[in-house]
Amino acid sequence: MLALLRLLIVGLIVLTVLYFALSWYFRAERRRRMEADWEAAGRPGTREAYVEAGMEQYQTSLRRKLIWLVYIVPVTSVIVIIYLTNYA
Amino acid sequence: MVYIKWGFRVIFWTAVIAFLHYTLPQRDIVRITDTYEQRIEPGDNALFWSNADTGDNRQATGRDVFFIQSFLSDEQPMIYRNEDTGWGWPPYFKFDAANLQAQAADAVSNRDGENARWVKVLHYGWRNEFLSIYPNAISVQPVSGPDARIIPWFNIVVLALLAAGYWAIRVRWNRFWARRDEPEGGEWAEKAE
Repeated sequence: MLALLRLLIVGLIVLTVLYFALSWYFRAERRRRMEADWEAAGRPGTREAYVEAGMEQYQTSLRRKLIWLVYIVPVTSVIVIIYLTNYA
Repeated sequence: MVYIKWGFRVIFWTAVIAFLHYTLPQRDIVRITDTYEQRIEPGDNALFWSNADTGDNRQATGRDVFFIQSFLSDEQPMIYRNEDTGWGWPPYFKFDAANLQAQAADAVSNRDGENARWVKVLHYGWRNEFLSIYPNAISVQPVSGPDARIIPWFNIVVLALLAAGYWAIRVRWNRFWARRDEPEGGEWAEKAE
């Protein structure tokens, strides 16, 4: 049981770090693109308002929810591997 | 300086390739001739043995390990160990060592052409006589003959994904430093037309 616990705890820590790193990276990338977008659109209104509106859209987008795959893919593959190794 | 840089690169990539070669699954086509257990007290080679069967005491120094004796299709002997990997590394999540031993014992055959039964052994790890280390068998499946064709789809996919991940990180890393080196000039800079 100790080995399972160790796997769960280490896995949770590693995946959580990865989750936050990716979500930070994608958000920064998105912000950069919104800023470029604002210039390309001819600088409508204030830059902050334009970027914030874009970021708000991003917060509820499917793209952002896809980061949950960081947890879903490893857990699913562990279950599949356990099945293939021991029962298939 | 150049030699040191290349020395480090060679050592690094050799380690990566060795790690993948040890960890990724491989398939051999063999004829199993016997199965046995042997008392093992891992010493300098402890890295190449599992710790204990799932649920067993991990502090015990010695224990009995299942082995599978076989001949490869080129008639070279190959011995596999058959140990649980449990929840540890490498992530095969194997708990059925005893079941696998039963299947292996059921597939025993001698070298007579008619009676020889060829099986595909999925395994990871290395056989090395000088260190007394053995690849760990994961599964045994009957195949048509010694020259059955095997395409390692799993390894192809894993290596492709690793290469893609390496490339994605490397490109971003390079772009990050390139952007560092030539500042954009801040918020009020004119875009070059």
